[in-house]
Amino acid sequence: MAQARRKERIDRGIKVRSDSIYALSSWEEIAYLLGPRALLIGGFLLLPVVLLPSPYWSRVALSVCVVALLAVSFDFLANFVGLVSLGGAFFYGIGGYMAAVASTELGLPPVVAIPAGTVLGAAVCTLLLVPCLPLRGIYFAIITLMYPLFMTRLIEATEILGGTEGFRGITGFSSRWTEQYGLIVVTLAGVFALRRFLAEDAGLVIRAVKDNDQAVRASGINVTWTKAKAVFVAALFGCFAGAYYVHMYRNVGISSFALDLSIMPIAATVIGGSGTLVGPLIGALLLVPLSELLRDFGSLRIVVYALVLTGFVVLQSEGLMNFATRKYQQFERWVRV
Amino acid sequence: MLTADGLMVFYENMLALNNISLRCDEGQVVGVFGANSAGKSTLMYTLSGIILDIRHKEKMRGGERISLFGDVHYRGEAIGELKANQRARRGIVLCPERRRLFPESSVLENLKIGAYLASRDEARETLGYVLELFPPLKKLLKRAAGFLSGGEQQMVAIGRALMAQPKLLLLDEPLLGLAPSVQQVVVEAIPVIRDQRGISVIVTEQYARPVMPHVDYAYILENGSTVLEGTRDELLDNPDVKSAYFGC
Repeated sequence: MAQARRKERIDRGIKVRSDSIYALSSWEEIAYLLGPRALLIGGFLLLPVVLLPSPYWSRVALSVCVVALLAVSFDFLANFVGLVSLGGAFFYGIGGYMAAVASTELGLPPVVAIPAGTVLGAAVCTLLLVPCLPLRGIYFAIITLMYPLFMTRLIEATEILGGTEGFRGITGFSSRWTEQYGLIVVTLAGVFALRRFLAEDAGLVIRAVKDNDQAVRASGINVTWTKAKAVFVAALFGCFAGAYYVHMYRNVGISSFALDLSIMPIAATVIGGSGTLVGPLIGALLLVPLSELLRDFGSLRIVVYALVLTGFVVLQSEGLMNFATRKYQQFERWVRV
Repeated sequence: MLTADGLMVFYENMLALNNISLRCDEGQVVGVFGANSAGKSTLMYTLSGIILDIRHKEKMRGGERISLFGDVHYRGEAIGELKANQRARRGIVLCPERRRLFPESSVLENLKIGAYLASRDEARETLGYVLELFPPLKKLLKRAAGFLSGGEQQMVAIGRALMAQPKLLLLDEPLLGLAPSVQQVVVEAIPVIRDQRGISVIVTEQYARPVMPHVDYAYILENGSTVLEGTRDELLDNPDVKSAYFGC
């Protein structure tokens, strides 16, 4: 027993000191607090500049943002609201089609068509999902998985919304810089806004619904209404991704409802760290370029990221972000018991 | 039969069990008493091996690090690293706190699930024994366990543990949330189980008053440490115990 030792985890001094805003007394502490955020924001903002020589990789950077938005939306629903959504593609597709209709049929410029597609699309998604919100369990997951398939077949069979052709000739962006910075800035702003939202009282109620919906109901709060609002917020993220992407490629088709768009974000969330909101961003930043690099392997690349995903679930299920946060905030040492 | 030496359990940096040593001989009923946060449940998790599972899960999801120290010996074999299912095979069966029944299964199904480790004959025999021990269950066999009253659920939980053919039964807070009259029924079953089946019992409780008369030896925990231990009569005579647990 004398030699028994255990590894102890202790908060770093600087973390404890900078935890309270009143204690910020040196540049070091300010840097400790802002450093990671600055790194993330600065890194994303530099992407278009760094990737300037390669239009291909610039487009990949935007795909990263699109997957990140869908992943954040998944993470928010799954780990803060308690609704597992398997239908990122549904949000994405609805947002895309809404924006396409706004642009081609109504002739609206991107500045109007994208926000309109986002908000209207989110409203439509929420309305379609409301019926299964009072239920607990896997119903939400099933419904969200079914809707994209349903939409694809519906469009194919009834030839509505341009049928299999989709819409073409959507107005593009005025310049490459607007195109890139528009998406990157909104992605970052969205993630940080969502974090702030969850820290507010409204976010507290949402998280409480996940923990114990009966207790929330007993406090006189309408759980279904709260969930509906949360779904609307999540749908905003997904629909914006769709609406923006449609304007980038200037066309939309039933491939907007592809299963890939539901699966990639989930993989990004698992890799980045569930329940962190920033983690999915980082997961997307790793996974999307990886999948582009593997494009030569054709459909074998699905195998690769299935393996990556399985490896993370089995070996490192907390995800990168949780792991990094712990290392950043705490150190370990051996102590005698 | 079972000895634990110098058990220490840390939840991250919080010490939940501090150098606990405990001993339960063949055919004994051992009581472990203490308030909330004394470490009773952690002790039961450690003896039954559930803690290894909790530790693994916490590690996987990046939660609290659980550190375990000390030895547990069962019939001369060191079982500190054995998983809960391996310990159950050797006869250490836990009846968990808050009962943890399968709420959507019927009472009969709950009991049968408990008999997974038993042979067909043993299961049939033990089922008869459980119904004899807790006659109210006879009429409830087809009912979903989740809809029973607290007392009936506790009877099912103990019955389910008995179905696994334990040699050492760990009862974690069997009186939790029960009315005093029901408490008596449950408590009085403990010495009966010991006498008729030859099963040793370790029972933890906050309420020493109903349980103390039925134990042979008892430990009193406070904040993870043993503050007092002794035979039933020693403890009943102890003025501190009297004032703390019997209010006189």
